[in-house]
Amino acid sequence: MAVHSWIDVLKLSKKTALVHDGKRKIHYLLTDGRELAEEYDLKTDELIVRKWRHKSPLGGQSSWQVEVGETLDFTASFDSDGIKESSSNPVFMRKDTKSSFQWRIRNLPYPKDVFSVSVVPSDRCVIIKTSNKKYYKKFSIPDLDRSQLPLDGSALSFTHANNTLIVSYKKPKEILSLEQELLKELKKLKGTAEGDVDCKTQ
Amino acid sequence: MATTKVPEVRDITRIERIGAHSHIRGLGLDDALEPRQVSQGMVGQLASRRAAGVILEMIKDGHIAGRAVLIAGQPGTGKTAIAMGIAQSLGLDTPFTALAGSEIFSLEMSKTEALSQAFRKAIGVRIKEETEIIEGEVVEIQIDRPATGTGSKVGKLTLKTTEMETIYDLGNKMIDSLSKEKVQAGDVITIDKATGKISKLGRSFTRARDYDAMGAQTQFVQCPEGELQKRKEVVHTVSLHEIDVINSRTQGFLALFSGDTGEIKSEVREQINAKVCEWREEGKAEIIPGVLFIDEVHMLDMECFSFLNRALESDLSPVLIMATNRGITRIRGTNYQSPHGIPIDLLDRLLIIATSPYTEKETKQILKIRCEEEDVELSEEAHTVLTRIGMETSLRYAIQLISTAGLVCRKRKGTEVQVEDIKRVYSLFLDEARSSQYMKEYQDSFLFNETQSAAMDTS
Repeated sequence: MAVHSWIDVLKLSKKTALVHDGKRKIHYLLTDGRELAEEYDLKTDELIVRKWRHKSPLGGQSSWQVEVGETLDFTASFDSDGIKESSSNPVFMRKDTKSSFQWRIRNLPYPKDVFSVSVVPSDRCVIIKTSNKKYYKKFSIPDLDRSQLPLDGSALSFTHANNTLIVSYKKPKEILSLEQELLKELKKLKGTAEGDVDCKTQ
Repeated sequence: MATTKVPEVRDITRIERIGAHSHIRGLGLDDALEPRQVSQGMVGQLASRRAAGVILEMIKDGHIAGRAVLIAGQPGTGKTAIAMGIAQSLGLDTPFTALAGSEIFSLEMSKTEALSQAFRKAIGVRIKEETEIIEGEVVEIQIDRPATGTGSKVGKLTLKTTEMETIYDLGNKMIDSLSKEKVQAGDVITIDKATGKISKLGRSFTRARDYDAMGAQTQFVQCPEGELQKRKEVVHTVSLHEIDVINSRTQGFLALFSGDTGEIKSEVREQINAKVCEWREEGKAEIIPGVLFIDEVHMLDMECFSFLNRALESDLSPVLIMATNRGITRIRGTNYQSPHGIPIDLLDRLLIIATSPYTEKETKQILKIRCEEEDVELSEEAHTVLTRIGMETSLRYAIQLISTAGLVCRKRKGTEVQVEDIKRVYSLFLDEARSSQYMKEYQDSFLFNETQSAAMDTS
């Protein structure tokens, strides 16, 4: 039941599609005013980017919050007055494959036995810890939260190579079928091939 | 040999300058609202301070909207001081907007727009918002200044929690505020990522040493746990005007280029009023009516006064405090005469607080407070002389003489200002009465003398 409600939300939203640069780009305007943008690879149908934007309570528009894909931080060049993480710090990003959710953390030059990755079902999140106290990250899996599925510690695995820690979580079959269904729906949308589309964002 | 002069690098720590009313720290009332003779920088004016105290209670209560108070009195009787006293006792959370009557006349904005903006700046909305903050213990702070003394500084800040450590690159503004807060290794700080506001929580326990000299107010706190960046719900106060501005900006990339907002459409304001009322009913926000203080209110003209009449009726209006030093005079923009230069229909809505001239004893006390504020030591005789001058000329003139006499005294390497120093500055600087006297005597030799006197005759 719960699995269906999320796809119903997406079905009810106003969608605009665009095929550009070898990617299928979809913009959803949800009924509660939030905006969701997704990009899929045309050939492999893999999700490349998923990001959110919502109105702040005071009425201003917040910047895009990236859920999947790389954060394009071009705003940083505008205000070099403030504070930002140094480029030598670990970079956290999510990049999914067909069968699993995957997170890659670059710039982690420590041996593999330093890391420990665990699931905390009570907080509905995954925690990455380091025994040398250099890195710590607590993150949730929004896909599972949206479909209200439980977290399973046995689905989690991680590897370390080339200064990169890769954490994978095997997608449960409910998620796989949901993604199939959504993809079918999206392919039915005929997108404009090129150029600007005026989407109602305001 | 030419030596290149390296400009001295001075960091702005905190520049505190002494203003005309910086000695005022409150209204000087006790719990029963009875004024003390000398307290919190206030002297005398017992009746008007008491009245101001009652108004203050009303503002703090926050239930009554759209009341207006007029402080009327001769020049130099403490009208602005009372208003400042109210502002100080309200604290930081209640919005207090001060403006002079002449500030609203601008070519870029209509008078009523400037007034409505001022009105809306004086209404605060307390609202919960989620912001991203960085909370951690400072491991290392490193600031590189360019060798020439000018140009941009670069810096690095290493922060840690019990679980992790991160290096941050610092921009110019952040470096300035870090050095202003005197942040050092071992401090536990929070940084609001959006606004760049830094607050020191205290020093980390792990850095506590037995023999370190610490101020009494230094607090020791635990090193934070978990992630450095957290999303936290913070309650903050924004003014209605700020919400207006956020919502009236051109959306999209054009917002980058539109610096000033100019006039705000009334539809936007109505929408926001409706939204704020909705929030209040849902319990998401709290409205804090503040104070709008208009000094020199006789400078407003007829249109502004009729706008005020209307604006005070709204239930979203602040408490309006006005001050004037005029008697019966012409209302600006008309040919009618009215008390204080304010139309009778508006005067009818006002509570009027009168201030009276200070007595000799009070003048002496005020001069003493100002001497402390300006860090000048006065001998007993000099003090008496200065009080005499204050009584005969004006209090403001006597206050002006304090720091000038202090300078004269320092030049002759004295430590305490003597009667001679006062005499010297008294002869150097004319007061208003002596200057007018001088004018009368030597009027003929001044420039434009003839045209001036002709104009005087016609008026």
